[in-house]
Amino acid sequence: MFHIQIFIEYFKQYLKTRLEYRGDFFAQFATDLLFQGVNLVFILVVFSHTTNLHGWSREEVIFIYGYFLVPYAIFSTFFNLWDFNERYIIKGELDRVLTRPVHSLVQVIMETMTPESLLGVVTGLAVMGWSMSQMDYVWTMMDVVFFFLFVVGGVAIYGGIYIALTSISLFSDSKTDIQPIMYNIGNYGRYPVNLYSRIIQFVLTWILPFAFVGFYPASFLLGSSDWKTFAFLTPIVGGIYFTIGVMIWNWGIRHYRGAGN
Amino acid sequence: MLKMYLSLIRIRFLMMLAYRVNYYSGIVIYSLNIGVYYFLWMAIYGDGQSLGGLTPGQMATYIAIAWMSRAFYFNNLDREIAQEIRDGTVAIELIRPYHYLMVKLFQGFGEGLFRLLLFSLPGMVLVSLIFPISLPGMMDSSWFYFSLSLLGGFLINAQLNILTGLLAFFILNNQGLIRAKRVLVDLLSGLTLPIHFYPEWAQGILSFLPFQAISYSPNMILIGGWSGHEIGQALLIQGIWVILLCLPIQLLWTRARKTLIVQGG
Amino acid sequence: MLSIDARNLTKEFKVYQSRSGLLGAFRDLLDRKYRVIRAVNGINLQIKQGEIVGYIGENGAGKSTTIKMLTGILQPTSGELRVNGYDPHRQREAFVRTIGVVFGQRSQLWWDIAVKESFRLLQKVYRVPEDQYQKHMTRVIEVLEIGSLIDQPVRKLSLGQRMRCELAAALIHQPSLLFLDEPTIGLDVLVKENIRRFLREINQEYGTTILLTTHDLSDIEALCNRVIILDKGNIIYDGHLEQLRTKWGDGKRVFLELERDFPLSILEEKTGGLPITWEKRGPKIFTAYLTSKEVSVSNLIAHLLPEIAIKEMEIKEATTEEIVRKIYQEGMVHA
Repeated sequence: MFHIQIFIEYFKQYLKTRLEYRGDFFAQFATDLLFQGVNLVFILVVFSHTTNLHGWSREEVIFIYGYFLVPYAIFSTFFNLWDFNERYIIKGELDRVLTRPVHSLVQVIMETMTPESLLGVVTGLAVMGWSMSQMDYVWTMMDVVFFFLFVVGGVAIYGGIYIALTSISLFSDSKTDIQPIMYNIGNYGRYPVNLYSRIIQFVLTWILPFAFVGFYPASFLLGSSDWKTFAFLTPIVGGIYFTIGVMIWNWGIRHYRGAGN
Repeated sequence: MLKMYLSLIRIRFLMMLAYRVNYYSGIVIYSLNIGVYYFLWMAIYGDGQSLGGLTPGQMATYIAIAWMSRAFYFNNLDREIAQEIRDGTVAIELIRPYHYLMVKLFQGFGEGLFRLLLFSLPGMVLVSLIFPISLPGMMDSSWFYFSLSLLGGFLINAQLNILTGLLAFFILNNQGLIRAKRVLVDLLSGLTLPIHFYPEWAQGILSFLPFQAISYSPNMILIGGWSGHEIGQALLIQGIWVILLCLPIQLLWTRARKTLIVQGG
Repeated sequence: MLSIDARNLTKEFKVYQSRSGLLGAFRDLLDRKYRVIRAVNGINLQIKQGEIVGYIGENGAGKSTTIKMLTGILQPTSGELRVNGYDPHRQREAFVRTIGVVFGQRSQLWWDIAVKESFRLLQKVYRVPEDQYQKHMTRVIEVLEIGSLIDQPVRKLSLGQRMRCELAAALIHQPSLLFLDEPTIGLDVLVKENIRRFLREINQEYGTTILLTTHDLSDIEALCNRVIILDKGNIIYDGHLEQLRTKWGDGKRVFLELERDFPLSILEEKTGGLPITWEKRGPKIFTAYLTSKEVSVSNLIAHLLPEIAIKEMEIKEATTEEIVRKIYQEGMVHA
């Protein structure tokens, strides 16, 4: 309850700051749309040379992509930790965070969130809606419930992995490029994983489980039952990875060396 | 003067070596990227023997080379410049006895050289053990043209980065722009999609943009997708872009220095 | 009751060493050497509720590392630490509710929003009830004279204005212990005076314990009755400021201008047997260094008169700053 109140307070402050820098607000909107568009372009161009990808039609691949956008948008709203190292470690803002009576990760998340990224949810829903109408496919009530569960699980997976990666900065203040590169890998969960080799499928399922953010739940929501078990595992995998991420963070805070040493 | 720039390259080299975590993770992750795109493209080929004039083998080679050259031409000059503009270090750089943008360019080159030698070469060996990649023989002249074209790609990408970075003088927060540029370059340079896979009309537009000269040209040269005449043409276009891009950079730089003086640093 | 109770408090850091040259850098890629540095070396520190303590030391003496352990930012490598009855790092969230922190070089406020908004947010973060907030902050804002500033964003404030706002922000939850790290750095005299007066007031009124690190010893002179000096991770002095003066400020200097010029040897002969050394600084102008407390100025004069007539005389005692500098130069206190 306390955290929800605090969240609302931070959100109000966020809006006030954002209103001061309106340009940034719209710039973020535009780049997000561009990101989403670029990936659609890739899919469309690819399908101008083939009619199916390992048995998946154009509309199905687009649906998977649209689904992926939803958890990804929520993730990027709250886990905007790209410049954590620069801002919190090198410039030392983590020292301030650590003198406040709220969990450090919660504070960092609230200070860096970008609610404008939620636009991606709308884009994602639109893309899904379009491909479903192309395929004349309709969801049941249960699908909607599963959709919510899967999205929450997906956000938790992404969040857990990124929290863990961000925690590296707590151990060593040298710059790492892992996050942007990880972003690349994260995107592979949005293609049907059965077109990759077994090793990659294994990695995307059990090590960096990005397949749970896109393909597994989306294929279930498309009515395919081949990956049903995996789809249902999504919230559990999410819970596990998020917990691991937070544990690594807490561990890192114990190791934190302070700024300016 | 040259000595100073050479030492800049050396220092960047040392800096890159200092970031060990980056180095190891980079090799693993680039290989993973190549793998994923390889499987994606093989699925696109399906049972077909040729798509857009390329065999599956050529396509695999294309992907590997595209990513390994990306390690060379990719740099963070845009972010660094924007950062230095925002925190005001640029003002100090201006009183130093060198050309700030040249220094940046050479830093980027040192970084690229580091990745080429310590990252792309071992990475290429690793990748060619896993995937069916065929490279031209050691003495083949296409290596020479490839190197030239790779350098051209580096210059054009660095120039685009400098341009985006300099925009920080005029736009308070150009991080969104930087990210957008990065995504566009990856898509339009031929890294993820060889240019001739685009529909005709799009190819027409892309041929008028500098992006295809960054990745597509060197890749096509090395996989043997082009005749001698086409290679010459591609190199010429790269040269023209390198020169053309100097203009907006010079323009922005001059204006930027003026605003810097007006604001008093 | 003890506000701070640290026993054998130690913090070690691993410092990676890089080999020199390109070849060295390649070797670093494979195996890296490090050595362990003890930033804080088993210090004992007991501070009672209501004390104002100055914590000084040169750069790198371990000052800020200590402060960061005391505020819960860093976990000690070893030793026992209780601050306000809590283990600062383990019970961080409950603990920091009882302390206030001001880092002079780093803002505690949100850069882009009005100071008032930062205060409001902190009120919520520290769960301060509305009526208590109103009563307390109205007073703080008035005494610190920041009423006209708090509608502006922090980035538009001058350093002195910002520092007063930082102080107010650190007091929103009425902490019983206040950490101030370089609170007057770069401020002008009037602002410094305002801040010091305010600190004395809250100390007297609420019994707030204050731990202050500073490079400016006039802060310490104005505020602290106890001073702790840290050098290379060890406490080399802990006691009253007055005691520090009497123990170390033994170097009284007397500047003399005489009626007539004398050679140095005559003067030395006159005061022979006394712990006094002489320096000739010009014709008729001399400095006498009284190197021990045993000898007084009147003692000196008694030995000179009547043969040597004095025209002008000035007595100078060592400033705290000189004393501290001397301590650093000579290392450990013999006491």
